[in-house]
Amino acid sequence: MSTLRRRTILGGALGALAAPAVHAQGGKPHAGTTINASCFQTTYFEYLKNYFPQFEEKTGIKVNFTMQAFPVYNQRTDLELSTKGSAVDVCNVTFIYSGRWIGAGWFTNLDTFTRDKKYTPAEWEPQDFVGGAQSAMQNAKGETFGYTWEAGAMIAGAARYDLIEKAGLKMPTTFDELIKVCDAIHNKDNVAAFTADKLHHWNWIPYLMGMGGNVFKAPPENLTPTLATPQAAKSAEWYANLLVKYGPDGILSYSDDQSMRSQMSGRANIRTQAITWMVPLAKHAESTVRQTVRYGLMPAGPDGNFPGSNSHGLGIPAGSKKKEAAWEFIKWALSKETVSTVVKDHGYPSVCRMSVIKSPEFKQVLTLNGQDVASLFLEVLQLGGKTGYMKYRTVPVYPQVGDKINKAMERIATKQQAAPEAMKQAQAEAVQDLKKAGFKVDG
Amino acid sequence: MTKAIKAQHRFFVFCVAPSLAVLAVITLLPSLYLLVTSFTPLNLTRPETAWDFSEPLVSYSALLSDDRLGNSIWVQIKLSFWTVALQLSIGVALALLLNVKSRLLEALRTVFLIPMVLPPIVVAIIWKVIYTPDISPMHGIFRSLGLSVPALITDPDWALTSIIIADTWEWFPFTMLMVLAALQMLPQELLDAAKVDGASPWQLTRHVTLPFIQGVLLVAGLFRLIDSIKAFPLIYILTDGGPGNLTEVTNYYSFLQAFNFSYLGFSSAITVVLLAATIALSWVIIRAVGWGVRVD
Repeated sequence: MSTLRRRTILGGALGALAAPAVHAQGGKPHAGTTINASCFQTTYFEYLKNYFPQFEEKTGIKVNFTMQAFPVYNQRTDLELSTKGSAVDVCNVTFIYSGRWIGAGWFTNLDTFTRDKKYTPAEWEPQDFVGGAQSAMQNAKGETFGYTWEAGAMIAGAARYDLIEKAGLKMPTTFDELIKVCDAIHNKDNVAAFTADKLHHWNWIPYLMGMGGNVFKAPPENLTPTLATPQAAKSAEWYANLLVKYGPDGILSYSDDQSMRSQMSGRANIRTQAITWMVPLAKHAESTVRQTVRYGLMPAGPDGNFPGSNSHGLGIPAGSKKKEAAWEFIKWALSKETVSTVVKDHGYPSVCRMSVIKSPEFKQVLTLNGQDVASLFLEVLQLGGKTGYMKYRTVPVYPQVGDKINKAMERIATKQQAAPEAMKQAQAEAVQDLKKAGFKVDG
Repeated sequence: MTKAIKAQHRFFVFCVAPSLAVLAVITLLPSLYLLVTSFTPLNLTRPETAWDFSEPLVSYSALLSDDRLGNSIWVQIKLSFWTVALQLSIGVALALLLNVKSRLLEALRTVFLIPMVLPPIVVAIIWKVIYTPDISPMHGIFRSLGLSVPALITDPDWALTSIIIADTWEWFPFTMLMVLAALQMLPQELLDAAKVDGASPWQLTRHVTLPFIQGVLLVAGLFRLIDSIKAFPLIYILTDGGPGNLTEVTNYYSFLQAFNFSYLGFSSAITVVLLAATIALSWVIIRAVGWGVRVD
């Protein structure tokens, strides 16, 4: 028979005292808690902020949400996570950094929350998130460290499709057709045929893969760069030529937003980019091309079609001291109901909940200028998830290798170096960086 | 030393000690940490590298085989030379022109100071607008004249020059202001004596004014040199070090290594070398140029 100790009695008494307090909070165990959350500047959270009062009313948790420009957010978060500090309770798991942040153990394993009914009701359905998008939020063991709020799917958008029709052509479906269309429409009506932003390590890769190349030998296991191959050199030259010959003057310095605005203002025509940057052409109040925009799948190369797809998710930093409150926020922000509301009220296009993507409301929202863009979106997500060709992008060293690709592309486009030479230099620099980061490479 | 003087000395030390302690914490400790870090292969994604001194010179030996670093030093030399030279010559020329008592010129002086007092990021955005063909008033004027001018910040022949122009615009007022202040201290008797001896305006400038402001020019030049080595906002906003690596200076390269790739050990080694080079260069310049004429 166990003896009744003083500590047991005190514990029981404290428990009894605490119980009425929880009741007094009206079933809001985290009432009065303030959590800090952050993400890069994005429409999803701009829209979601409107509904924060509902969350605060429901849970009693106050949310301090900050947004910064994409590179600034990534730099700050990288530093913050590395300290394992508790300044942030919820933050965005950026696609390109996901392998690095999750691999370094800087995020909390969310399976502990989703597998426990005490924290997550069955109807929240983690399986409802698109598999391809979610794969970036998992480690090699399949444990989940984030839930996705954005699934970027690369499509082609022609701001002035009327010019293409006028030339007797259609939306290009292959690389050859893309060149043919660009040749036919470039500078017609003072509109440049093609536009892109300067993030070549995202924009160029579908063209690289379409021509039979790749970034690494076999990611994530073998990270030996494959940038000095004949396919990579050929594709880099082809893409640099596409930018310089058919792009607006100054294209090499274009940011995401500048590139989108060049289309919205009708100064540039075709762009291949994630759907988030394409929808405003048809919906933004300042767009001058709402009546002429047309969408299509990313053109395919001789070796197939590899449209870029990516995803960003919400996770809980390992150092957070308010993990349960943080999970309450993620659970609410990415619930079927909340996501559906944001889609219905604001037309947000890049959702990751399959049940929402398949809903009639989503289809209606993504019917742009009379065209069903929802099915294009789903097609790209399925392509990305099927063969896993996007794995190159979530490896921990991609920021370094991506930088080498950007620089090489600029050198080729400005004729500082021939493509084989520039790609050879990119390969050598990437290998040097991988070794510095402690990775083994072949040869 | 008398007892009273000793007590006074102790009192002074007592008064200054808190400021020195704060200064040490703010300045010396981070510098010391930078130096210590440079002897580790610190990588933020690998916490075990934080205090790994097994190969203390690994980052320094990596510097020697890094071609991109070598290129960044060459870009740095070109940027520093041209910005300092232009800022000094334009600043001196304008200060000499504006060193006249006139309400109009006094108003003009204030106008010239505007670029210097603007936040550097605002200056960078102003030049981004000027250099972006679609929205640039400069390109608009050229177009209306029928002239085709390439996008300067993405043109390999113009990218670095465009940074030099923007930096010169931002900082020549600093040199101008310092020289102007020095010119106003120039004793009139010196000029009058030279005039009595029959000196021409050019001889006055060459033999009286310039030796008098030599010390100020040295200080202004050193300030600008050190600042040019720290160049960041213009490069970050305008070119991101590109096209390719044409505008990537050493300071920017170090930033990329630390904050984009997390190689803090390597970045610290670059910074330590850069710091040592700046101090050495400043010493050489001070020795070579000298402080000029002093009039007490």
